[in-house]
Order: sequence, then structure tokens, then C-alpha cells
Amino acid sequence: MDDPVLGGLAWRGGEQREYPPKTSLMNDSRPTSSIDPTLPLRAKGGDRQAFAQLVDVMYARSLRFALHMVGNREDAEEAVQDTFIRVHRNLDRFRDDARFEPWLFRILANRCRTVLEKRKRHSVVIQYGDVPDRIGAVEEVERDWTEEVYKVLDTLPTEQREAFLLRHVEDLAYEDIAAITGVGLSALRMRVKRACDALRARLTEVMRDE
Amino acid sequence: MSEFERDPIIDKVRDTLRSAPHVAPDQRAVARVLSSVWESPPPSGWRRFFNTWRVPALSGLGAGALAVGALLIGFVTRGAVNPKQQPEPLAATGAPTGEFPVQTVAFDAEAALVQTQFVFEHGDAESISVVGDFNDWKGEAMPLTRMPNGLWTTTVPLPPGRHVYSYLIDGTLLVADPRAPKSGDADYGNEGSVVMVFAR
Repeated sequence: MDDPVLGGLAWRGGEQREYPPKTSLMNDSRPTSSIDPTLPLRAKGGDRQAFAQLVDVMYARSLRFALHMVGNREDAEEAVQDTFIRVHRNLDRFRDDARFEPWLFRILANRCRTVLEKRKRHSVVIQYGDVPDRIGAVEEVERDWTEEVYKVLDTLPTEQREAFLLRHVEDLAYEDIAAITGVGLSALRMRVKRACDALRARLTEVMRDE
Repeated sequence: MSEFERDPIIDKVRDTLRSAPHVAPDQRAVARVLSSVWESPPPSGWRRFFNTWRVPALSGLGAGALAVGALLIGFVTRGAVNPKQQPEPLAATGAPTGEFPVQTVAFDAEAALVQTQFVFEHGDAESISVVGDFNDWKGEAMPLTRMPNGLWTTTVPLPPGRHVYSYLIDGTLLVADPRAPKSGDADYGNEGSVVMVFAR
């Protein structure tokens, strides 16, 4: 039987859920922590529908993080795909009382680091600022600013970029980032501070010119 | 948030990076990821064992000792096992029996089966299966998985060649794939769609 649609909410089994779930970051750029906590548990129990929903909800955020970390879409998509394969394979290790997002980002951050290491080994030269994959159709002024942001982001050491993105873009708590990266809290704060200092130093001028 | 993080520039950087406009995924990207997940082989028994027990990293010496021990056990038990004993053959094809249907179908090297993805868009169905000449038009053999965005998908191993298929909706309605060429001949009373599978 079809689900009756009630004012944009689909009525399912006695509970209201937003449908379809938000996936676009264009309309709501804030990270969403709105993962239904039962989804990972249902996926762990073999519910493919629940896993599909997890991918649907987390794909955009994961791709954004990977894109900012590795700088090109092909590598980012590969990292995200590998991440979800690993998540699925290791669902039986996911603790019932754990939160899904930090776990996902831990695997994703590892995949991104692996991509970057692989790239280093193959001596691929990355031109700073040559990051067209990440810039969409934006106004020219905004485009200059965005390009500058990416330039600076790419000059940051990987660990600083990672810490900054997890803290400021993904809005994760330091405790979660510590679990993701395996780095102590004070060292993490220092990484974020250095990233902020570098961004501030390089972008103050650009902001003034706008 | 501490003082060094509270800054209009950092705020603007954050907004810029959060609103990267092209990040919004298309449904096909999610379908591709899910398809890879379903195709990916499950962890081996040993991997599950190590995952479960979290065996700590071994030192070189420890790993060496473990290897020597394993060899010794191998020598001691040699002959105890009948070498002619063969494992039970895997089913070459057939209905899925495990958690992930695609993974439980044994790969038939001689027939060189090719993993073939089916994607169908339908918002209202309760269940959809792909039926065709490759599964004797049996409705339950190859169910598709619904994703929240309305796409249904599955990947099945098919032998190379031309196959006629349709989608069976809610166990009653047979529908051709609107994005595939029509078969031109009515099979099972309905015109089906054609998929050409090429050997890799």
C-alpha cells in the first residue's frame, strides 16, 4: 500500500520521517547530525535498506570532505566509495553504543591519507591553486575568494587541513576528532590553530579587497 | 569555540567550504556506491576472526614464532586429513541464500559470468525483481534493493550474450525497462527489454 503523504512527511509505521532525506548541501550547508541512530544498528543487522539510507544521507558530506582533502573529484569519489565498502564490511565491529559519524570519518580520513600518500609515491605534482574540481558556478567575486581559500587550504600540511576541516567544516567535537585521527587533544587544538593562523594571514588581504 | 577560532575570516572560510555547490550528489553516484558495496566480497573467515578478537600487532619475533608453530602443526597433522577429500562444490547459480544475494552466487570461470547492474526508477512499489531468460522468469530470484531516492538496483552475474528481461513490480506487474531497447518479441506474454552482455 502506498504511503500517504502528509504535508511533505511520509507516514511510515507510526512515526513521521522527512522524505526524501536531505542530501543536497546546496540548500543546507551546515553539517547535519540527523542520522537516525537506529540506522547503523539496522544496517549492522543486515538491513540493506538501512545501509542504503546511510549512504544516501552521508554521501554528500563524505564527498565534500574527501574533495577538500584530496583536491580532485576522481580521487575523492574513489575514497568515498572505498569508505562505504569498508564501513559495510566492518559493520559487525560497530559498537551499538557508538556514534556513526566519527566512525565513518575515521575510515574516510584514512582513505584520504592513503590517496595522498599514493600520490606522493607516484610523484604527481599538484599545482597549488589548480583545483577547478572544487569550484562550481559562483559569482566572480565569490569565485576569487573561493579560489584563494582553496589555494591556502592546499598549502596547509595534511594533518592541519584534516583537523581544520573536521572541526570547522564538519563541526565535529575535538573529542571526536581525537578518536578519528588518534591524536591528543592539545596537539589537535594546535593543528587547528595553526591552520586558522595560516588562513587568516593569507586571506585578510583578499577580504579587504572585496 | 576558543578565541583563536572566533573570527570573521574563519567564519567565511567555513561557509565557503561548507557550501561547495557541486557536492550535491546525483542519485546515480549513490547507486554506484551501493552497487560496489553489494558486489564487494565479504571479509574472509580469518578476517572476521581477527576483527572479532582484535589480535594485537605481532612483533617480527612473535610472527616468526607463530609461523614456525603453524608449520610444526602442519607436519604433525600431515596425513591425518584425507587429501582426496574435496570440499562441497558451490552452487553455480541459483537463488541467493546469504545476506547479500550477489555475493553468494559462485563465480563460474568457464562461463565467465559478467556482473551486470540493473537500475530502475519507481517510487511506489513494495518490491521489484528483475526477471528474464537468465532466471527462467522467476519472480523472487533477483530482487532489487530500494534506495531512499526511489531508485531500485541490483547486480547479477550473467553469461555473455543477449538477454531479455523485465521488472516484476509487487509480484504482479511486469514492466519493460524504459531505458533499454525493446526485445520486439513477446516473451511470457509481455514485450521485454534487451541487455547485451559482453565478455570482459
